[in-house]
Amino acid sequence: MKKRILIVFISFSTLSLFAGKDNRIVFCPHWIPQAQFAGFYAALDKGFYRDAGLDVEIIHPSANVASFKYLESKKADIVSSFLMDAIKVRAGGLPVVNILQLSQHSALMFVARKKDGITELAHLEGKKIGIWNSGFDDIPIALMKEKGYSFELVRILSTINLFMTKGIDVLAVMYYNEYDQIINSGINYEELSTFFMSDYGYDIPEDGLYCMKQDLEEREEYFLRFTQATLKGWDYVRENKDYAIDLVVEYMNRANLPSNKTHQRWMLDKVLELLKPGDKSVQTGKLLPEDFYKAIDIIMTGNSGAFINENFSFEEFHKPLVSQFK
Amino acid sequence: MKKGSLSYKIISRILLFCIALGFSIFSLYYFFTRDSIKKSTRSNAELTAHNSVSKIEEIIKQAEQLPQNLAWMLESNSIDLNTLDSFLIKLVENNPSIYASAIAYEPFTFDGTKKYYSPYAYKSGGSVKSIYLGSEDYNYFLMDWYQIPSMLKEPYWSEPYYDDGGGDALLSTFSVPFYIVKNRDRIFGGIITVDISLEWLTDIVNSVNILETGYAFLISRNGVFVTHPNHSFIMNESIFTIAKEKQLPQLREIGRDMIAGKSDLIKTVLDDYEQVWVYHTQLPSTKWALGVVYPHKEMYSSLYRLNLLILLLGAAGLTILISFTIRIINRQVDPLTKFAKSARLIAEGNFETELPSLLTSLEIKELHDSFEYLKKELTRYIADLQETTSAKEKIESELRIAKEIQMGMIPNIFPPFPDLKEFDLYASLESAKEVGGDLYDFFMLDKQHLCFAIGDVSGKGVPASLFMAVTRTLLRSVANMQIEANEIISSINRTLSISNDSSMFVTFFIGILNINNGRLKYCNAGHNPPVIIKSSDQINFFGAAKAIPLGLFEDIIYKQEEIILNPGDQIFLYTDGLTEAENSNQELFGEKALLEILRNGRNCDPKTLIKKVLEGVSTHVDGHTQSDDLTTMCIIYYGKGNHGNRD
Repeated sequence: MKKRILIVFISFSTLSLFAGKDNRIVFCPHWIPQAQFAGFYAALDKGFYRDAGLDVEIIHPSANVASFKYLESKKADIVSSFLMDAIKVRAGGLPVVNILQLSQHSALMFVARKKDGITELAHLEGKKIGIWNSGFDDIPIALMKEKGYSFELVRILSTINLFMTKGIDVLAVMYYNEYDQIINSGINYEELSTFFMSDYGYDIPEDGLYCMKQDLEEREEYFLRFTQATLKGWDYVRENKDYAIDLVVEYMNRANLPSNKTHQRWMLDKVLELLKPGDKSVQTGKLLPEDFYKAIDIIMTGNSGAFINENFSFEEFHKPLVSQFK
Repeated sequence: MKKGSLSYKIISRILLFCIALGFSIFSLYYFFTRDSIKKSTRSNAELTAHNSVSKIEEIIKQAEQLPQNLAWMLESNSIDLNTLDSFLIKLVENNPSIYASAIAYEPFTFDGTKKYYSPYAYKSGGSVKSIYLGSEDYNYFLMDWYQIPSMLKEPYWSEPYYDDGGGDALLSTFSVPFYIVKNRDRIFGGIITVDISLEWLTDIVNSVNILETGYAFLISRNGVFVTHPNHSFIMNESIFTIAKEKQLPQLREIGRDMIAGKSDLIKTVLDDYEQVWVYHTQLPSTKWALGVVYPHKEMYSSLYRLNLLILLLGAAGLTILISFTIRIINRQVDPLTKFAKSARLIAEGNFETELPSLLTSLEIKELHDSFEYLKKELTRYIADLQETTSAKEKIESELRIAKEIQMGMIPNIFPPFPDLKEFDLYASLESAKEVGGDLYDFFMLDKQHLCFAIGDVSGKGVPASLFMAVTRTLLRSVANMQIEANEIISSINRTLSISNDSSMFVTFFIGILNINNGRLKYCNAGHNPPVIIKSSDQINFFGAAKAIPLGLFEDIIYKQEEIILNPGDQIFLYTDGLTEAENSNQELFGEKALLEILRNGRNCDPKTLIKKVLEGVSTHVDGHTQSDDLTTMCIIYYGKGNHGNRD
């Protein structure tokens, strides 16, 4: 139980010493090491950042600390985050800018046991639903609100154990992560009911890269190199999945995290799917304005109490650093 | 040993039988032993698993006792709340298996102003330290160790985890909800935890030694490996990720049964694809599951070794059995081959051939005696045969001579009287044996009278031929003195009857034809009636016998009859060898057929007519052996001055 405390401690203490040089970029993804960030690891490991003249270091946050905290405290130059969280952070006054939208789709979903009689969305009415405490909660809550279903919200941290011990009826999960963890804990696919947010009009993009507005103005050239090398990293893992999985597992082992290739392979496959435009006509790395405004709608009508001020425009929020020909 | 030989047949059958018998016994033994090994493995596995489980449970029960006691103390207010942290330090210090302990209160429960209140004591570098948990960055209310037992309101063993502060210690947190009494209400106070080092548990599970490479493993409630010989599995892989990666759906089902708390012994393959038997059962306290793995190969290795030994011994035994059988049978059968050679030599006439002297069995001795007897009998028989053959040859030569003599006695030159144009005559005698009892004769009594006769002696062969010779001699001698047919016959009868001890007799027909006027006087003594073929084309039997044959009674009076032959009339005489000639169906030639042939050939001369009749008989009998003498005689009367062929 002490682990979490120690990760936070190490992360905050050791890494701040090196930030500051122009070509040096500290990147902080928004979660502990896993295949969700394989493209970054590959770009570093394969020297794509170095080839772009950058000195990149990747640090990881702990499960209960948002990556923007690292940006705010200047312990990281670029972070990744969910679109919804970024909008809320910006609305909260921190001038963050989206410089690259990686994911174009939502992997958010509810899972429940069919045995409990839950086979359609309406059956969620009155159930105990576990949703993460650290963000990602607006969409599930907005969906339930839109449908008019009351439910008991149970804040959870990061594991599936409360669901596994039947402390809750429904769990909000990421398709690429917790869903597979549940399967890997002995529940069969056919025993689960699944409700994808994207199937109910909430296909809100997720992972994107963010930096401080001022840093962007000063170091745009370096940040552009970073986004280009990152995309190259993602292209590389798409073609070299076994290599990517080994690399991810190495990162996880280094962080003393339990790791298994089966789950990471699943995650990589699903995350790569999220990067594809699918039925959206969007250029790689860019965010669609309608997705942005839909996200704002959800936040405004949601429970989070965040307020979006009028000066907050799409153009100011999203300054994609993608090359002309990309 | 040739295929088809007796030894080959006996040995191949014995071999087949032995193999079939051996195979049946071996199969029974194999399945029985396999089953009993499986049964003993099951009971052994159950025992091993239950031993390990009870060892683990014993320690776990002790560990569970502490926080439960503490919960009771908090609820009964029998502990000084201001010294909780030092109490926890002592608790951790005094319990080697406890790595850390916390008392985590619900928000604002310990102190109305504090959201987080949780004294926490933990081992660190040989000493025990104490801190307070809980902050906005460490919201323990959402931690599994707090949230799950507080929601379930029951004790909870967390999924195992590595403590990254103290090295590689594998821990699990046992959490117990506690209650406090506030304003006389019993309210939920929070969670007491003890972090238990699982080193001892790993030791217990790892100390399970099964056969050579068998082992035990433990999985958590989520199927994650807590202990496993492959260290990279521990805390990284679950039984389900292995099942997915190695594509072993059965392993997934076993995992599901394990976390569902079932106990069973199942044959399956694990991550190394070796066949194994897995016995699994649950730890009642933590709901983790223990698996005990028996490698199939090793489980049955003693059986396989025994099988190999039995098969080798069986093969050796069979080889020895076969070689002995071959030797024994060859030894027994060898005289037979020698006997076969001897028999061949004996068959070639070498009766002095030595018989095999090695008499290996009663049967062979019997065969030897039989061969010896055969040899003697054959020698004797051959000698007899030589004797008999020379005797027979002698008799045959004598009979041949007798036949020549007999045939010399009857006239056999045709035409017999070339100068006499009044008639023509032809006769034929075919004996069934070398010598026969039929006779015919003709001669001129004087210039006018032709005497002709035909007869048939009873019986056949030499006696009949002698009787025939006597009869014919008598005819010639008597006829010289007589001119009346009945007198000739009576005279012959008298002579024959005297001292006829053998009671032989002869049927006899005698005719005396006056060649000038065609008057025929005749007398028939019991002979077949002759046929008269009139020139007017009438064909009839005539002169049926009115008297008994000659030689039986001496005082018989024979009467003479007469008919007149017109020129062109023919008389056909025969013995019963003609009408009674049999074919293979025992059908007689018969008088009807005779008349038919005679009618068709009525215009032929005697020689041609007789030829046609004999051809008709030959056609009828169709190669069937002639059983009786066959004699025919035909006379055509041309009359005085009317000589010549009618054609």
